[in-house]
Amino acid sequence: MKKKPVSVCAEINDDNAVKLASDGNSEAFSYLYEQNVKRIYNYIYYRIGSEQDAEDLTARVFHRAFGHIGSYEEKGVPFSAWLYRIAHNLIANWHRDNFRRKEVSLEDQIDLPHHGDLPEKMVERNQEKEMLLKAIRNLSPDRQQLILLKYLEDLSNAEIAVIMRRTEGAIKSLYHRSLIALREELEKNEKYHVMEK
Amino acid sequence: MADGIDQININNLWGLEDKLSKVLRPVTPDPVFVDSLKLKLSRTPTVLLEQSKRHFGLAAILVGLLAGLLCYWIYRKIQK
Repeated sequence: MKKKPVSVCAEINDDNAVKLASDGNSEAFSYLYEQNVKRIYNYIYYRIGSEQDAEDLTARVFHRAFGHIGSYEEKGVPFSAWLYRIAHNLIANWHRDNFRRKEVSLEDQIDLPHHGDLPEKMVERNQEKEMLLKAIRNLSPDRQQLILLKYLEDLSNAEIAVIMRRTEGAIKSLYHRSLIALREELEKNEKYHVMEK
Repeated sequence: MADGIDQININNLWGLEDKLSKVLRPVTPDPVFVDSLKLKLSRTPTVLLEQSKRHFGLAAILVGLLAGLLCYWIYRKIQK
């Protein structure tokens, strides 16, 4: 049976927003949108490295969430976990569809020059940053997700475990392996750069 | 010796963690984008039921037929 839109002017807060939104309250959905849009955008942005595509995918995440909120069931998991999962799937589709498309360099768009920096220092810093971001994006999607959730969102292993549907121990182990893989990627890139020079 | 190597590895990983926390800083999405998406999501889709153009066609044919019959009837009357 289809749920009827709720027109009750209840005060929307963190506790009731999801319930109200799933009952058809559009104001509650707007509230959830405001709470989550920045984090979802950031997550997508760092995963794909293009501002325009990040906006497009962020919009798709929320449109999809809006379309399925009626069937969303609260299971004691943060609402953002559901959004991250939608984003994760859409990013996977995006990578599949854009496999041959040349991606815009993430570093070109993020780094704004700091006033007062010497040009050489700026170049050096940019190169370091470029290499690190490139290495992150060469990791598997799960490892990228874990690193971004940990550093962008500052989430604990327990919180990440909920989002990624794993145990806390598995996340701890995955994190350690991700760092090792990241370091190996960086070493590979460094060797490549030395050979190029 | 092995402990020493492990310690170096851990230190390297910690160094990497420092780098990650410096590089991975949240970015702010374009406020115009954020507001326009919010507006799009908050708009309830309105469904307009358009009247079928077929009805207009049928009505035109009927009017035409009736006018034709009327003209024929008047013509017959004049002939008599």
